[in-house]
Amino acid sequence: MYTLSNVTKTYRKGHQSIAAVNDLDLTIADGEWLAIQGRTGSGKTTLLQLLGALDHPSSGVINFDGRDLARLPEADLTAARGDSIGFVFQTFNLIPTLSAAENVEAALIPQRLSAAERRALAADALASVGLAERASHLPSELSGGQQQRVGIARALVKEPAVLLADEPTGNLDVDTRDEIMGLLEVLWRDRGLTLVLVTHDTSIAERAQRVAIMRDGHLSMEDPGSP
Amino acid sequence: MTTKRMQPPAVPRSRQEGSESQRGSFRRRRPPATDRFLLTYLYRELRSRLRQALLIALGLGFGVGLVVTVAAVSAGVGNAQGAVLHSLYGIGTDLTVASPTSGGASNRSGAGAGAIPNVLRPGDLGLLPTTWVTRISRLAHVASAAGGLELTELTQSGGVPQSFSVDGVDVTHPGLGPLASGTLTSGHGFSETDGFSNVAILDANYAAANKLSAGSAITLDGTSFHVIGITSQAEGGGADIYLPLARAQALARSSVGKSLTGYVDEIYVAAASSADVRAVQTEITRLFPSATVTSASSLASQVSGSLASTARLINDLGKWVAVAALATAFAIAGLLTAAAVNRRVRELGTLKALGWSTRRIVTQIMGESAVVGILGALVGIAIGFAGSAFVDAVAPTLTATVSQGAGSGESTTVPVHLTADVSEVAVIVAVLLAIAGALVAGSVGAWRASKLQPADAFAQIG
Repeated sequence: MYTLSNVTKTYRKGHQSIAAVNDLDLTIADGEWLAIQGRTGSGKTTLLQLLGALDHPSSGVINFDGRDLARLPEADLTAARGDSIGFVFQTFNLIPTLSAAENVEAALIPQRLSAAERRALAADALASVGLAERASHLPSELSGGQQQRVGIARALVKEPAVLLADEPTGNLDVDTRDEIMGLLEVLWRDRGLTLVLVTHDTSIAERAQRVAIMRDGHLSMEDPGSP
Repeated sequence: MTTKRMQPPAVPRSRQEGSESQRGSFRRRRPPATDRFLLTYLYRELRSRLRQALLIALGLGFGVGLVVTVAAVSAGVGNAQGAVLHSLYGIGTDLTVASPTSGGASNRSGAGAGAIPNVLRPGDLGLLPTTWVTRISRLAHVASAAGGLELTELTQSGGVPQSFSVDGVDVTHPGLGPLASGTLTSGHGFSETDGFSNVAILDANYAAANKLSAGSAITLDGTSFHVIGITSQAEGGGADIYLPLARAQALARSSVGKSLTGYVDEIYVAAASSADVRAVQTEITRLFPSATVTSASSLASQVSGSLASTARLINDLGKWVAVAALATAFAIAGLLTAAAVNRRVRELGTLKALGWSTRRIVTQIMGESAVVGILGALVGIAIGFAGSAFVDAVAPTLTATVSQGAGSGESTTVPVHLTADVSEVAVIVAVLLAIAGALVAGSVGAWRASKLQPADAFAQIG
């Protein structure tokens, strides 16, 4: 799915150049669940943005199914995001003025489907996360867990090859956290998704097939046998 | 991605299939579908910040309304000037030809000292032979030409000298000359067979003051004339009595007692088209270098009085106030729109992360602005009509003083009621201005949105 070679992403901060991701090599297989842990500012969100075609690296190669995201023009990156990559955000990022169904439908706008097709797919996606009855509700009328379910439905309605989740349970209580992680795990398994999940929570990371640790822009794989 | 499926998300996709589907290029785009999602999103966004949208619309509406009002008043001033000029020269007259005299002493409103009573005298304009009328009518681009003769008669009433004005008009050209601008309130106008008849048409004010009506008889220089009609001039200008030109010429005497038969003192000219007026003016000037050839536009510059002051106020101050208000409204609308986009950074960034193109997002922002612009246009038109109605209600009666020809020393002052007329063009301009203003404002927001990065969806997450 992904092969990253010598990927570096630097930012300018005043006169200083800061490498959020530094000379990173990483391979993520199709259908793999990779958890990325690390402290705040360690570069894990930057790595997720690079994997999600949201940003260009300063140098290096990001091979995504045969194409180098680092060298694709913006239009192709937009197409990649619209077709192949799903995002789940910590703060849900739902459009507050749109209903749950319309929020899910928004992810299908780049697909140029007919309105009827979009509505049918959005309804199915909401049903798959157990929110068929809440389709017409605004985000403000939903609980945090329900909003994140809508976010997951929105990410998966276009059937992406990869799902990138940035602290998807960071704003949820423990019970809801477990509920959402259970849902993600089922969807990952049933749909054959490639899942890259950024989290602070070790108990969540432990559910992944592989755990990577970001430190100062460098990535290291955790020993599967370590406690 | 080209093999991507259209099945519901609940149906699992095999990892292998997914892997193969990612090979090669990303999915080709189909043409954009026009559907209601954009409108739904647009409507919900505007409804969610209704107060701000209304504020922008009101701001644009105020600026546009001011422009419409100023344009309406300006049009009203133009119409008033036109009415004043038409009252003097007739609606169909494009040019007048006159010759200044060297020593005129009287004007139409009074007689000079030493004038001989009960004799029709020419005014201050010089006399022109009627052959000039014929020669001018034969010029290229001239539709028609007619002569006129302006006279004044002094009378004694109870020992008090009084005067009245008489215009000799060409009965074969009813559409040219001072009588053309009037409206017959009773009786009938001259016919072509009235050229040598003792018939007269009276100004309504003069007739009322002297208790005369159609069917009455008046005596001029010892000759009785049958009143066949009463006319009312739009702005109260014109002569007291209108006679067939030949009769006026026969009755009038010059200062040395000479008959004025074969003379006129003003020639009214209609060009073949408005585009020909300048060319005809040049031709007449070349033909008669000593004559003063005046067009309606050049005469407008000679209008003075409160009407002219109002025109200057509208053109100089009103126009710039309206432009300043409009520019301010545009700027405020731009700032508010940019601020609204700034509040939606994460939302717009999320849409980009979902694969929305920058163009689609810009279209969304511009669409929202266009709706606000249409609201602003409606508000502006309403304010424009209200402003015009207010001007109509409170505007005092103005006066216009018109100098009639260089060197003549003759002038006429007429009262003018100012009306502000909102034209269809002004309404169209208002709509275009408001939408343009909203789109300018939207462009500011759209530019800001276009600069957003999809990574902004992750802002403030850490």
